[in-house]
Amino acid sequence: MTVAAPRHASPALALRQTGALAWRSAVTTIRIPQAWFPSLFFPLVLLAIFTGSFGNAPGNIPGFPPVRGFLDFAIAGSVLQGVLIAGTSAGAAFAADIEHGFFDRLVVSPVSRSAILVGRLGASVLQGVFQGMLFLALAVVFGAHVERGFPGVFVLIVFAALLGAAWGSLGVILALRTGSSEAVQGAFPLFFVLLFFSSAFFPRETMTGWYRQIADVNPISYIVEGMRAEVIGHQDLSKTLIGLAIAAGLALLGVSIATLAYWRRLATEGA
Amino acid sequence: MPHAVEAQGLERTFKGGVRAVQGVDLAVDDGEIFGFLGPNGAGKSTTVRMLCTLLRPTAGRASVAGLDVVAEAGALRHLIGVALQDAAIDPYMTGRELLRLQATLHGLSRQQGRDRAVELLEQLDLVDAADRRVGTYSGGMRRRLDLALSLVHRPQVLFLDEPTTGLDPLSRVTVWDEVRRLNRELGTTVFLTTQYLEEADQLAARVAIIDDGRIVAEGTPRELKSEIGEPALTIALQDPDHHEAAQAVLERFGRLLPSTARTVAVRLPEGAGALADVIRALDDAGVTVAELDLAEPSLDDVFLAKTGRRMEGEETEPEPTEAAAR
Repeated sequence: MTVAAPRHASPALALRQTGALAWRSAVTTIRIPQAWFPSLFFPLVLLAIFTGSFGNAPGNIPGFPPVRGFLDFAIAGSVLQGVLIAGTSAGAAFAADIEHGFFDRLVVSPVSRSAILVGRLGASVLQGVFQGMLFLALAVVFGAHVERGFPGVFVLIVFAALLGAAWGSLGVILALRTGSSEAVQGAFPLFFVLLFFSSAFFPRETMTGWYRQIADVNPISYIVEGMRAEVIGHQDLSKTLIGLAIAAGLALLGVSIATLAYWRRLATEGA
Repeated sequence: MPHAVEAQGLERTFKGGVRAVQGVDLAVDDGEIFGFLGPNGAGKSTTVRMLCTLLRPTAGRASVAGLDVVAEAGALRHLIGVALQDAAIDPYMTGRELLRLQATLHGLSRQQGRDRAVELLEQLDLVDAADRRVGTYSGGMRRRLDLALSLVHRPQVLFLDEPTTGLDPLSRVTVWDEVRRLNRELGTTVFLTTQYLEEADQLAARVAIIDDGRIVAEGTPRELKSEIGEPALTIALQDPDHHEAAQAVLERFGRLLPSTARTVAVRLPEGAGALADVIRALDDAGVTVAELDLAEPSLDDVFLAKTGRRMEGEETEPEPTEAAAR
């Protein structure tokens, strides 16, 4: 009567399950406008305000790198911000899954345990990439120019993917720790502070005092400067490489901690 | 043949010392519908979560379909179907999408998933709503979809945690019919928790009553009822002046129960068998009977007898959840 059932899903099945779960995360995000609208709207509004207010800043305020216009300067910060908000909503969605029992539904099924986590993080990476590409496209329509051309665009997409993984992991960690989507939403404004205390919107060279000191040690500064180098065409690749290394480091750290938190939860819960 | 569900000394203590389940023993036969009855917060959901591999027991052991719920959890998940209380059903996805996703989770191929979704949508009368978002479904439709989701992989043992809580009577009967049909046609063992006495009475061949994390009674509904009590006979009098005379007669047949001005009640150890004698005796004493009611004890009476409290109509704390226990 008892059928011998495989204990572990085959890699091919695990991959299909990961895809199905990432698809489900994406579909449920797309179908809830209030889940993705803020992550598009607010960075764009901010970008429009800054670009209108500081249109003449590059070239007139000392400290700006040589750049064609403020839009070119600011686009990197906006992409970063968009990915960050996307990570928030991904984390909140995961927390909601835990709260409302969808996570239980997954765990009680024989689905590959890795597929649950990888599917969730994969969706967050996809959202980062989509967000990054959309922002770039809009900025280009409004006159921005990526100096490094298609290779530059590709590097920016890699940045967006890494940031999506890093922030998605952060969302997953918070979701696993609290199991409350409100707690996840509530914690994220703190990370906006991190964004504003960086060179996301103004060059570090224009900052003074302790504000500058914070921006100097803020890893976000280096990530955004690496992205910016692609848009404004910095003379050497060092900024890009440093930015990529930091983004990759954060992604790796985030994914590792998220994985540990996930397996710990499964072990204590018994699943 | 091993029991479909077996538990010995099953316990779960949450962080903070909440002992939700305190030593539960269970033996559910293959092909049986087993009712797990208790008020809110009694430990029903916690027990089910341990049996379906979602929660690790802190003591004791349990096996389902012959597989240990901890050591063989991975293999066990292929054999059980689970419909948990308030299980999330994405309101933004359609019934068909959810069924196909569930099929993938269970390792069915795309084609199998498609076919199985069509089959289950028909079986649970959801064809018209198949491609609508679940957010537009009624409570009964959601519960039927939830049931369909738990059946995608044709489980041997089905766990239903309060499958009809909050449903209107008609939807409730639909779910009951489906559960009976599954059990009859496919031989699926069903382990269902409920706080409705009627549900346990209607569906379950055997019932365990849980209170405060412990099983206080177990058996067929009939056994449990006859164990605690004799049927009660209540007589409504035509004339309130006959009250004393009626009491004097009934006293000869059993222990008197509290009465009102117009009624007299008595425990009848012999039940319906004594009815003719009682009526004859009343007639001889000149008491005119307006109405007569012979009530079998209910499972609520069983609960009262075992715990000293009534089960229904009592608002108690919800079961300790993970979040609350932290």
